[in-house]
Amino acid sequence: MKATQLADLAVKKALNAGATEAEAYVQRTNTVLVTFAEKIENLKTVESTGIGLRVAVGKKTAIYASSILDEEEIYNVALKAVKIARVTPEDSHWKNLNKRFAKTPVEGCYDKKLETPDYKEITETLTSAVDCMKNYDKRIRPTRSLFITSVENVSVANNHKESIERNGTDVGIYLTAKIEEAGINSTGGEEQQARTWKEIRFEDLATKTAEKAVKYLKAKPIPSGNQIAANILAIFLSGPINADWVQKGRSPLSGKLGKQVASENVNLSDDGTMRGGLRTRPFDDEGHPTQSTPIIEKGVLKNYIYDTYTAFQDNVESTGNANKSYGYWTKPQPSPNNLILKPEKTTSEEIIRETRKGLYVEQTIGEWLSNPVSGNLNATVTHGFLIENGKETQPVNGVIIAGNFHELLRDGVEMIGNDLRSSMGVGVSTCSPTVKLAKLTIAGK
Amino acid sequence: MGESKESLLERILDQASTLGASYADARYQCFDDESIVVENKELKSFSSRRLNGIGIRAVVNGAVGYASTSDMSKNRLDKTLQSAFKAAKSIKGQKQIFAETKIDKIKVKSTAKIDPGDVPPEDKFSIVLDANKAAWVNDSVKNAVTRLGLTKDSRLFMSTEGACVEVETTLVGLAHGSVAKVNGTMENVNDLGESRCLGFEFIKSEDWNSFTAEVSRLAIEAAGSKSPPPGTYTVLVDPTVLGLVLHEAFGHASEGDIVSSGESVLNGKLGEKLASDSVTIIDEGIIEGGYFYPFDDEGTKKEKTVIVEDGILKNFLHSRNTAHDVGGRPTGNARAQDFDNLPIVRQTNYYLKPRDNKFEEMIEDIEFGIYVKGKGGGGGQVETGIGTFTFGVGPSKIIRKGELAETVRGVVISGFILDTLKTVDAVGKDLKIITSVFGGCGKDAQRATVGFGGPHVRVRKMTVGGR
Repeated sequence: MKATQLADLAVKKALNAGATEAEAYVQRTNTVLVTFAEKIENLKTVESTGIGLRVAVGKKTAIYASSILDEEEIYNVALKAVKIARVTPEDSHWKNLNKRFAKTPVEGCYDKKLETPDYKEITETLTSAVDCMKNYDKRIRPTRSLFITSVENVSVANNHKESIERNGTDVGIYLTAKIEEAGINSTGGEEQQARTWKEIRFEDLATKTAEKAVKYLKAKPIPSGNQIAANILAIFLSGPINADWVQKGRSPLSGKLGKQVASENVNLSDDGTMRGGLRTRPFDDEGHPTQSTPIIEKGVLKNYIYDTYTAFQDNVESTGNANKSYGYWTKPQPSPNNLILKPEKTTSEEIIRETRKGLYVEQTIGEWLSNPVSGNLNATVTHGFLIENGKETQPVNGVIIAGNFHELLRDGVEMIGNDLRSSMGVGVSTCSPTVKLAKLTIAGK
Repeated sequence: MGESKESLLERILDQASTLGASYADARYQCFDDESIVVENKELKSFSSRRLNGIGIRAVVNGAVGYASTSDMSKNRLDKTLQSAFKAAKSIKGQKQIFAETKIDKIKVKSTAKIDPGDVPPEDKFSIVLDANKAAWVNDSVKNAVTRLGLTKDSRLFMSTEGACVEVETTLVGLAHGSVAKVNGTMENVNDLGESRCLGFEFIKSEDWNSFTAEVSRLAIEAAGSKSPPPGTYTVLVDPTVLGLVLHEAFGHASEGDIVSSGESVLNGKLGEKLASDSVTIIDEGIIEGGYFYPFDDEGTKKEKTVIVEDGILKNFLHSRNTAHDVGGRPTGNARAQDFDNLPIVRQTNYYLKPRDNKFEEMIEDIEFGIYVKGKGGGGGQVETGIGTFTFGVGPSKIIRKGELAETVRGVVISGFILDTLKTVDAVGKDLKIITSVFGGCGKDAQRATVGFGGPHVRVRKMTVGGR
């Protein structure tokens, strides 16, 4: 049975079992994953399926999910979901499921080539990327790296609307290399995620990985100090702009709509429709069409992001941000589609030139440990370099950068670059240019 | 499905041999997972799922291919086996050799008196709701989220060498997070709480209301406190932080695949003195408080592996393949997140062995330092190639003239693990091992439930970041 039919069937069975509302989400993914270092180590293919059924009995709700997609199991899932919902307490905020099903036209999110992945082409391309690293410098040792492609098919149906279907593909590569010389270790790493095979810059990434490893052989920690400008990616907002966080009292941006929360050069939007965006799709995980939503305009907070449930509470429309970020078996919740910090005119070279004393941060670890509620930002720099009088000087590692994100956003964003890089930092698709920040502290030796 | 899982896997393995695999194994898994979340005294979500499927690994001409499916019809399984062969055949010039391992035929289970699946949903919900209500200790609390997690993981492993190992592990736990606002400053404390490899009897026996109230009080205290000035200090590390740092910064570097690829900072250092004399580090499959892991996903028994003994590096953690490549015996550390994944080398319960110092003895000669605590911490990350680690710890205490003083928040510790372990100069006599049904360790896009911990230890030099 087709996925769309299974979704419709699950809704029907749930209503028969006594649900007043039901929403079925059926997912099929085919993944190819290759692990490699100096050589290809493994290649695996994974076919996974699942259904997540959300039901309401009056104002009582529950979700039941299964990885088995046959008619008998669908019936079982419907019975169990309704059985659990009946004994849960009422949710006073519950109104109804999404009634607006539609597809926003999107481009660059599906690569037909990946439907039938050519294993030979994949392994040969990866082998030549590895060779490219080794040819850059004889001392380079390629270390554990990953390549992944996936094809995803999702169908959503509920008691208001018949099923709709979407397809998407993803490709990702994560390269690492190491150099050891005279007892000193240095590493390099680059990654790229995209929606199509031809976007992946295999050779370029391999060369950059090797370059980085060589460059950071000379790295060392620097002394502690205050007020050193630094460049970091803006990934701090996905929680606080989520309407659920706002409504539940967790967001530091509660009550700030229409207020200045950032300096005037900051323009941020969430766009589920951008061409080839890492989380671009025609509709969200409730079947609601995606859109572009302004979040911060000239430093002023304009909108939060919503799913159907949170939209009802604020008496607004969903922004098409219902996401099952943790899997088909979880409840959809608001989260960003593609967060975009709008680029300005300055090149990153100009930013460096105009910095008297600063730290250029290329790569950090632990930045996700930052606390979006208090705004405490911290990360350990593994790859960075000092900027002195507009010039790149000493490579630096092993220092902690720290600051308060909300203060930085208000009066620490000195310059925004004209470049734009997509990444999946902390599981959120983010596009950000190079940013020069003041008011970070550095802890070193 | 009438056919037993054993005969299903046996049929696949027979077919694999016929098709020319020099070795093959098949893993069946059934995973039940239930999660109840209560936020601000209301049910946020009640979700359950069952995950079911088979993964097939085939070695053809020395290369390893893997394929998995959650559709267990005969047609689909045949296709999955073919995919595994196709994957193996696309890899050129590779020979993966598996070291010998003892072939077992055994069934084991963790202790669970009450199967979580037999408990009525309303009974589960009421425990979570009561715990959430108890978190609202005063008006400073602005948000409270309580989570109950119940899992049962049944795995069957069979190989063409004749192994047949069945393991069933039940893991249950409750976690809580509170957000407090004091004089306009917000702070949140998320605590993984307590999880055990026991049945629902564990959930019924614990005092969760005191636990959530304590998390709230800590959030309130932290919201009203400052961060320490950045710099390098003497720190006393609690078992949670120690366990996390060891797991991330040393444990991963001791994993055979990372050693074998040359990425590990421990590469070529077997037999070397890497830590102070008082440091002994162990990885063990079954230990009080930890995750129950008697056999790995290659059917190898997980015994007690001594990684570091009195400061000297003794062993690495191995799968059958890394044991062959690096040299050593398989240690039962080949673990797969689920049937969708190939086993890779992972830690089980990784901890530092206690010695004989009392808590007071360890802080009495610290003029100015920090007692670094894990509760409400954020976790950490490491670059295994160099051994750089960074951790966001929970609200902690300043140590002044040998005594605990005020609370500090927003504390981040960082260092190079091989330097840090050399400055461990006192190890406590206590031992706490922690596991969690909610968290897990991530590596190569796979998650695994692990245990970690140890006693309190004193570290002479640690870089501390803060504001």
